Amino acid sequence: MADPDLDFTSGDAGASTTFPMQCSALRKNGFVVLKGRPCKIVEMSTSKTGKHGHAKVHLVGIDIFSNKKYEDICPSTHNMDVPNTKRNDYQLVDISEGFLSLMMDNGDVREDLRVPEGDLGKEIESKFAAGEEMLVTVLSAMGEESAVAVKPMTK
Amino acid sequence: MCSQAPPSMVSTEQRQHAEHIFLSFRKSKSPFAVCKHILETSKVDYVLFQAATAIMEAVVREWILLEKSSIESLITFLLTYVLQRPNLQKYVREQILLAVAVIVKRGSLDKSINCKSIFHEVSQLISSGNPTVQTLACSILTALLSEFSSSNKTSNIGLSMEFHGSCKRLFQEDDLKQIFMLTVEVLQEFSRRENLNAQMSCVFQCYLALANQVLSWNFLPPNHILSCREVMHYIAMFEATQNVMLKPTASWRETLLDHRVMDLFFTVHRKIREDSDMAQDSLQCLAQLASMHGPIFPDENAQLTYLAHLMEGLLNMINGIEIEDSEAVGISNIINNLISTFPRSVLTALPNELFASFINCLTLLTCSFGRSAALEEVLDKDDMVYMEAYDKLLESWLTLVQEDEHFPRGCFVQPAVQVFNSYIQCHLAAPDGTRNLTANGVASHEEEEINELQEDDRELFSDQLASIGMLGRIAADHCIPLLTGLLENRVTRLHGQLQRHQQHLMASADPGTVDRKVLDDLYEDIHWLILVSGYLLADDPQGETPLIPSEVMEYSIKHSTEVDINTTLQLLGSPGEKATSIPGCNRTDSVIRLLSAVLRTSEVESRATRASLTELLSPQMGKDIVWFLRRWAKTYLLVDEKLYGQISMPLSTAFGADTEGAQWIVGYLLEKVINNLSVWSSEPDLANDTVELLVTLVEKRERANIVVQCENWWNLAKQFASRSPPLHMLSSTVQRTLMKALVLGGFAHMDSDTKQQYWAEVLHPLQQRFLNLINQENFAQICQEEAVKQEIIATLEALCGIAEATQIDNVASLFSFLMDFLSSCIGLMEVYRNSPETVNLIIEVFVEVAHKQICYLGETKSMKLYEVCLTLLQVYSKNNLGRKRLDVAAEEDQYQDLLLIMELLTNLLSKEFIDFSDTDEVFRGQEQSSGAGRAVSAADVVLYGVNIVLPLMSQDLLKFPSLCNQYYKLITFICEIFPEKIPQLPEELFKSLMCSLELGMTSMSSEISQLCLEALSPLAEQCAKTQEKDTPLFIATRHFLKVSHMMSKPLMQEYSELVETLLSNQRDAVIYQRLADAFNSLTASSTPPTMDRKQKVAFLKSLEEFVANVGGLLCVK
Repeated sequence: MADPDLDFTSGDAGASTTFPMQCSALRKNGFVVLKGRPCKIVEMSTSKTGKHGHAKVHLVGIDIFSNKKYEDICPSTHNMDVPNTKRNDYQLVDISEGFLSLMMDNGDVREDLRVPEGDLGKEIESKFAAGEEMLVTVLSAMGEESAVAVKPMTK
Repeated sequence: MCSQAPPSMVSTEQRQHAEHIFLSFRKSKSPFAVCKHILETSKVDYVLFQAATAIMEAVVREWILLEKSSIESLITFLLTYVLQRPNLQKYVREQILLAVAVIVKRGSLDKSINCKSIFHEVSQLISSGNPTVQTLACSILTALLSEFSSSNKTSNIGLSMEFHGSCKRLFQEDDLKQIFMLTVEVLQEFSRRENLNAQMSCVFQCYLALANQVLSWNFLPPNHILSCREVMHYIAMFEATQNVMLKPTASWRETLLDHRVMDLFFTVHRKIREDSDMAQDSLQCLAQLASMHGPIFPDENAQLTYLAHLMEGLLNMINGIEIEDSEAVGISNIINNLISTFPRSVLTALPNELFASFINCLTLLTCSFGRSAALEEVLDKDDMVYMEAYDKLLESWLTLVQEDEHFPRGCFVQPAVQVFNSYIQCHLAAPDGTRNLTANGVASHEEEEINELQEDDRELFSDQLASIGMLGRIAADHCIPLLTGLLENRVTRLHGQLQRHQQHLMASADPGTVDRKVLDDLYEDIHWLILVSGYLLADDPQGETPLIPSEVMEYSIKHSTEVDINTTLQLLGSPGEKATSIPGCNRTDSVIRLLSAVLRTSEVESRATRASLTELLSPQMGKDIVWFLRRWAKTYLLVDEKLYGQISMPLSTAFGADTEGAQWIVGYLLEKVINNLSVWSSEPDLANDTVELLVTLVEKRERANIVVQCENWWNLAKQFASRSPPLHMLSSTVQRTLMKALVLGGFAHMDSDTKQQYWAEVLHPLQQRFLNLINQENFAQICQEEAVKQEIIATLEALCGIAEATQIDNVASLFSFLMDFLSSCIGLMEVYRNSPETVNLIIEVFVEVAHKQICYLGETKSMKLYEVCLTLLQVYSKNNLGRKRLDVAAEEDQYQDLLLIMELLTNLLSKEFIDFSDTDEVFRGQEQSSGAGRAVSAADVVLYGVNIVLPLMSQDLLKFPSLCNQYYKLITFICEIFPEKIPQLPEELFKSLMCSLELGMTSMSSEISQLCLEALSPLAEQCAKTQEKDTPLFIATRHFLKVSHMMSKPLMQEYSELVETLLSNQRDAVIYQRLADAFNSLTASSTPPTMDRKQKVAFLKSLEEFVANVGGLLCVK
C-alpha cells in the first residue's frame, strides 16, 4: 500500500476514487466496483423476472489486484461505482529486498512497490538479473497500487 | 466370455484379449462348418451371435468361391435353425436373420438367388396361427426390407452404390410388393377378430410397423441412366429415411390404388387407436398414403378418386371420436401431407360437399388443437404434442390460403374467422379469453426468470403468427375491426389503471403496495394484440421493399366509400384521445384505425413515462410498440402508388408522399424514439429496437427527406453530439447505431447551407472535441483521467457508428472524414498502450472502416488506408512484443486483439474479391492518376500483419474456435491471392506458415483442413510455374503431397498408380472397361496438366462426368 508521504500523484489529490455510472452503460472489459473491490468486467448479461419485468444486469468481475472473481446482480437502472484507474509505465532501476525501484518521468525514484508475486515477479527478477532494461506498468485504483505488467525497453 | 463379463470380473487386458479372439475368428477362412457346429452345440448366446456374424462376413468375403447350391443350403440351414429354436435370444435371432438377408441380397444379382422360396416359407409360417412363428415370419421380412432398402439401416458389405441401387430397383418392383401383400393379409386377418389377447396384439404391432416401413420406402426411379444428381441420390439415401414422401412406381397401381388397402388402414387405426404406440404406426401409414404422388397415378382423375376416398375415410375416422393426445400429431401429419402433396386442381375438383366438410373438420381441429396447446403451455409440459400438431395445421392453412384464387371466392373466410378468433381467445386473459387457465378454469400465474438468450415471442412464434396474420387478411372484414376494438379497449383500461396507480402512489408514496397482476394481464393482452396486428398488416421480407398485402389493400378500398377522410385523419392525429370519443369514429378507415390503436398504446406509454410511472410500465410492451411501428413504416409510410395496381384513397391520403399525414407521423415517430432513448436507456433490447426504428426512418432517402425537416431530429443530433445526459447512458451498441442513423440522415435532400449546418452540428463537434483534447499539451498527463478516457471511448464508438453508415453514395465524404481520425488513432495507440480495453476499441475502428469502405475505394485511397493500417500494426507490435501481464484476463484480451487484427487483414484482402471501385465513380475528380508512386500494396500490409500475428499465435490460442477459423481463413486467402509472395517470406515466417498449414491439415476440424487444402493448390501451382526443384516452397509442397495423400486425396503424381489399383481390383470385365474408359476420358483433355483457368474448368467438367458415370461404382458400402 502506498505511503501517504510518498504520494506523488498530487494531480488527483482529493479527487474521488470512484464515480457512478448507470448499470446499462457499463461495458465488458471496463471496470466496476463489486463488493467494494475494483474489478475488470469479464461477463455482462441481462435477465428479467416475468415477461413484463424490468431488466437486471448480471456482472462478473475479476479483482484487478487480487484476481479474485466477484459477481453481482442489480436492476439496470441502478448506478454502479466505477473505479478511477490509472496505468503508468516506469523504468525499473533496481530491485532490493523484494521492492522495486522505479524511475518516474521527472527523474525521481520510488521504492514503495513490492515485486509482484508469481510468474510476473520471477520474470522481472530474472530479466533484471540478466541486465535487461524494462518498463513496469503500475496500475492504481481506489488507493491501491501494484505492478501488473512488464515490457522490455525498445530503443 | 471375458468380452461380455462385468468390469468387476475381468481386467481390461482380458477383455481386449477376448475381443481379439472373436475378431480374428470372424476373419478365419471358410468357417462355415465350425460355425454350424457352434450354432448346434453352444448354449452361450453371445457365442451364437458371433457365429452368425462370422457366417455372414465369410459369405460376403468368399462369394466368388461359393457354389450356388452351398449358398442355398446355408440359407435353408439358418432359417431352419431359427424356426426350430423359438426360445433364442432376440438379438441372436435377428443376427441370424440379418445374415440370411445379406446373403440373399448379395446373390440377387449374379447367382439368381431370390426371395421366392423364402416368401413361400413365410406365408406358411403366417398361416400357422402360432403367434411366435408369426412374429418370426415378420422378423424375416423386416430383415430383408432393411437390407434391400439401401438406407442407413443397411449393412456394410463393401459393394458399390450401383450394386446397392440395382438390388433395390429389382426388389421394389416385385419382392417389396410381395411383402406388402403378405402384411396386408395379416392385418386384414387381425382387424377382423373381435378380441386380441396381449400376445396377438404384439404380432399385430409387428406387422403394422412392417407396413409402415414399406409405405416409407424411398422409391428409386425406374430408369437406368444415371445422372450426376442421381449418384448424389444414392449417397443421400444411405443417410436419411425420415420424412420420405411415398412415390411408388407405376407397377404399384393395382396394389395401392385399391381402395380396400386404404380402408384397411382406417379400420386398423379405429381398432387400435387407444394403444398409443400402435396408433403412431397406423397414423403414420395413413400419413404416407396421404403423401402418395408420382407415376402411380395414370391421370388426374385417378388422383381425384384416390383423394376423395382418402378424405372420406379421414372424415369418418375423425368425426364422432374424441381425439386421444397420442393421435394429434399423426392426424395433423395426414392433413399436412395431403394438402401439400395434392395439386390445387385436384383439391378444387373434389365434390363441393366433401371439400366443405373437410375444411369444416380442419377448422374445428385447428381450434381444438390450439386450445390444447395453450393448456400444455400453462401446465409447462415437456412433451408439447398439441403445440406440434397445431403448428402443422397452421402450416397447412398457410399452404391452402396462399393459393386461394383457385378456390371458390370466400370459401376460407368463415374458417379463417374461427381459427383467428380461437387464437386470439387463447392469448387473451379472462374473461374475454382463456390465457393461463387450466382445464378446470383455475388461473395460474407464475413469474419465471427470463434470460437474454431467450427469444422474443415475435421470433419464437413467427411461423404461427405468420399463419394467423395470413388468415386475418383473408377475413379482414372481421379480424381488423376485432383487433382494433380489443386493442382500444385494453389501452383505455391500461390508461385508467395507470391513473389509479398514480393517485394511489401520491396518497401513500409506497410503490411496494402496487399490485401488478392487473397491469401484467393488460400488458400481455396488448403484447399479443400488437404482434398479431403487425403480422396481419405487413410482411417483413429481408432486403426487398415490402408491399401492402393485397387483401388489406382491397379491404381498405372496398370500404373507402363509407369512409370520411377528415375524421380518419383526425382519429390518426389525436393519439391522446379515446378513439370512441371522436365524433363519427365509425366512419373511419379500419386499417388506419388499427395503426392508430397502436399509436394510442404508444401515447399512454409516453405519458406514463412523463408522469414518472416508468417503473410500472412493461419494457416488453415498449418493444412491441416500436417493433410494430418499424414494420408498419417500412410498408405503409410514403406508400408508392406506382407499385400497386389500385390504391386505397384513405391510405394514400394519410401516408402518401407529400402529405401532411406522412409528415405528422414521421414527427410522431421521431418524438417516440427520442422519448424512448431517454427513458429506456436501461433496457438494452428496447433501446435497440427503438434505434432500429430510427435507422428505418432514415435509411431510405424519401423518408429521410421528411425526417430532416423535423426540429426534433436536429435536437437529437445536437444532444448526442454534446454527449450530455441521458443519451450517453445508452449501451455502446445503441450509441453506435444512433450515430449511424444520424450520419445516414445527413445524406437526405437539403439545400447546401442546411447541409453544411447539419454536418457542423453532427460530425464537426465530434472532431472538434477530439482534436481539442488530444492536442492539449498535457494530454500525456491527463490521458488517464477518467473523464478523458470516457471522452476517448465515446469518440471511438462514434467512429465505428459512422463507418457503419457507409453507403455507396456517401463513401467519398465519410472516408475523408474518417481518415483524419485514423491517423490520430495511431497516436492514441501509443498513449494508451498499457490500457488493453482502449487498444482493443481502436483496432475495432480500423476493422469497421476497412470492412465497410475498402470495396469502394480507388487505388490512391486504398493505398492510404493500407498505409495507416500498416502503421497501426507496427505500433501494436512494438508495444506488445515481449510484454507480460499478471492478470488472468491477459489471454482473453490478447485473443480479442488478435481476432480483430486478423479480421482487419481479411477485410483488407477482401478488396481482391469484392471491388466496386471500378464500376462506380464516387471518387471521380478526387482520384489523381496513380500507380507510379505506389508505396504499399495490400500484400505488404497483410504479410506484415501476419508477421505480427504469427509470433503471438499459440496452439492454446487456436483452441478459441472463432480465432482458429479466422486465422486459417486469413492464411488461405493469402496463399490464394499472393502465392508468388510466399517463397520470398523471411525464413522464420515461412516455416511457421508451413507449420500452421500442416497443423491445420492434420489436427483440426474438417472445415479447417479443407481451407488448408485450398491454400495448398495455389502454392503447388506456384512451384509448377517456377520449375525450380530445390526451393523451400517446392520441398514444403512435396511434403504436403505426402500428407494429403495420407488423407487419400489423389494428386497428380500418385494418380496413375491409383488408377492402376482401382482397375486391378475390378474383376468384372464390363465394369473394368467402363472404368478404364472413364479414366481415359477424364485425363484425355488435360495431360500434361497446365494451370490456366480454362483447363481447370475443363477438368472439373470431365471430373463431373466421370463421377456421374462411375461414381456409383466407386462409392462403397
